[in-house]
Amino acid sequence: MTIQETIPWVEKYRPKTLDEIINQEEIVRSLKTVLSTKTVPHMLFTGPPGVGKTATAHAFARDLFGDRYIEDGHFMEINASDERGIDIIREKVKTFARTIPMGGIGFKILLLDESDQLTADAQHAFRRVMEQYSTTCRFILAANYSNRIIEPIQSRCAVFRFKPINPEHMVQAIRRVAQLEGLKISEKALQALFEVSEGDLRRAINMVQTAASYSSNIDDDLIFRVAGITTGGEARKILELSLAGKFEEARKLLREKLYVDGVSERDLIAQIYRESFYLPIKEEDKLKLLSLIGEVDYRLSQGATPEVQFMMLLSYLYSLTKERK
Amino acid sequence: MSIPLTEKYRPRSVSEVIGNKEAVSSFLEWMKSWEAGKPIKKSAFLVGPPGVGKTSLVIAYAKEHGYDLIEVNASDRRGAEQIKAIIAEASKQSTLAGTRKRIILVDEVDGAYGSEATGGINTLASIIPRTNIPIVLVANDPWDPRLAVLRNMSLLIKFSHIRQNEIMSHLRKISEKEGVKVSDELLKFIASRSNGDLRSAINDLQLFLTADQRIVEQLKNVVSTRDRTKSVFEALAEIFGATTAISGRNVTMNLDVDLDTLFTWIIDNLPNQIKDPQALFESYEFLALADLHYSRANRLQRWDYIKYAIPLLGSGPGIVKSKTSDKGGRFEFPSKIRFMQETREKREKIKSILRKLAMKSKMSQRKAATEMMPFIRAILGSGKTDIAKYYELDNEEIAIASIGDNLLPHVMDENSLTKDKEKVESVKTSQRPRKRKT
Repeated sequence: MTIQETIPWVEKYRPKTLDEIINQEEIVRSLKTVLSTKTVPHMLFTGPPGVGKTATAHAFARDLFGDRYIEDGHFMEINASDERGIDIIREKVKTFARTIPMGGIGFKILLLDESDQLTADAQHAFRRVMEQYSTTCRFILAANYSNRIIEPIQSRCAVFRFKPINPEHMVQAIRRVAQLEGLKISEKALQALFEVSEGDLRRAINMVQTAASYSSNIDDDLIFRVAGITTGGEARKILELSLAGKFEEARKLLREKLYVDGVSERDLIAQIYRESFYLPIKEEDKLKLLSLIGEVDYRLSQGATPEVQFMMLLSYLYSLTKERK
Repeated sequence: MSIPLTEKYRPRSVSEVIGNKEAVSSFLEWMKSWEAGKPIKKSAFLVGPPGVGKTSLVIAYAKEHGYDLIEVNASDRRGAEQIKAIIAEASKQSTLAGTRKRIILVDEVDGAYGSEATGGINTLASIIPRTNIPIVLVANDPWDPRLAVLRNMSLLIKFSHIRQNEIMSHLRKISEKEGVKVSDELLKFIASRSNGDLRSAINDLQLFLTADQRIVEQLKNVVSTRDRTKSVFEALAEIFGATTAISGRNVTMNLDVDLDTLFTWIIDNLPNQIKDPQALFESYEFLALADLHYSRANRLQRWDYIKYAIPLLGSGPGIVKSKTSDKGGRFEFPSKIRFMQETREKREKIKSILRKLAMKSKMSQRKAATEMMPFIRAILGSGKTDIAKYYELDNEEIAIASIGDNLLPHVMDENSLTKDKEKVESVKTSQRPRKRKT
């Protein structure tokens, strides 16, 4: 059996319309009401990764403006995390919102993805942009954490909270992918997939595609293997090296992650947090470690230097080696 | 410069050996006694700090006087058995005319630990009285108690640090031969920080000769004013020797390098200086706190906050270290700077891949790095490169992303890296990754 792999499955199976959005029934229902009245508020989509925030924004715009919603200039997406500085964002918004396209409905929609990556100051500046252009432009802000969005913005938006994909929906979605791709996937594998993807459908589909590149017959063992090399596998390796007393190797791998692979310190600390529960250390040491991770997370948000803070964390694990002997 | 300078400029004759004149002449005397057929002692024990020419002397002598040098590892019993066999064979041949002369060189006698090593040492001790080939033992620590037996039966030849001006003039000779102009200041700098270790000085010289201009400049900066102000090495010595908060507070006075640079040097040298794991953690806690205050000062432009960072970084490591028995080693050039230099090309490639992934996936590069990249790498690692077309990755990028990373071997057998699906199936049961249990 040959597997068509040219297109990433997360793209191939991306929902196109609101009807194809799974697991977010209430949100889809409210958005359909909005569609029927065509009075669109500013909206804030919050929720964990891979639950359909960006896809819903696109589907909504497609249902509202038609298939050529992007080409005809009704909809634009800006990534807050990559756009350097609020000035560049403001400039982009200005150009986009200046005109109203022909055949439109009086306004455009701008999606600001990963908007919680903006600093508080940048968010205040963005709030003014929202007000300035609100007659010609509606804004959808997508964010993982609503509490990282300043209140003045929250109060100007209809807030939609996206839920993690529940097991039934996850299994359904994966089964569909497996069927269309001609894969055999075991019940245990589906269960494993839900466990390691933590309700993140993008991650689950990426995992299935990765697994499928090794075997078209997917069992739970393969899923765990894939999880080991893709999600947090290297974070765990860093922790394990520190515990094994291989401190310099741990430092090298840490640097690989931070400086070569481009993994952000916030993502790395999140992976370390997840992995720390499974480390072979005393439970009380684990609690101390978790508290340290929290401290480092906070310090990083205060602009501390990632490498030193991570080294402190790793040296804590290293210090446990003495007691274990 | 493909071969290390330390190899390229190893002395080819005894006269080329730098320093330790006394040790050299007693070695020559010992070898003369062998030549005369009446060895003073059956073995010579060359002891002294690293990089002062112990092994080089033996190699140079052998080359110059037409000896075959047999280098043996003493750190295991096999090494000792090997020596036994060589000696047995040699004693048979010694009567035959035309046999080449030999020296047995046992390097790093103190280099290994455990019962295997002890076995090796005991076997050596039983061989030496019966040998008819000169045996040279080399070690760093002359007072290692395990070596007492060897020390007593051998001619002890002590080597010491090479003098700074000798190192400096040797470095100058090498750089002239390499056709690179190096300032006296820089040579003096390398020589002074080498602590009398000529090998490390030559290694450092090589770093400077090959390093990119930025680092040379940075270091020249350190050097050029060190007569008037404190160099980063002096500062490090103060920091790791500090016992009071006050000395930590004063550490940046007259310091020529900026605080960022000093901080990098401290952070990177910490694991060399403090080996005790608990103490290492405590020191990193101080440094992490110092970083917090320092970055806060930077972010808020409240420069007065720096005064909270200085004592923490300036005396934290020293105060912690003073509670341990750690002696600390030589201060090293920050490994982070080396790391960034070595990975520059790879970093650029990965960045370009991330850009493409981010663009196609309509997400930030930050997000693509964690949400897409690991999967793409694993898929490419399976040998299926179709997906690269979608992301418009070129062949070089495919190679960087799939090979050269060590994602797969952590979890899967080497075999499963092949494109063969059946193989994946068959090894699947052999190595099971962690299953999460709480």
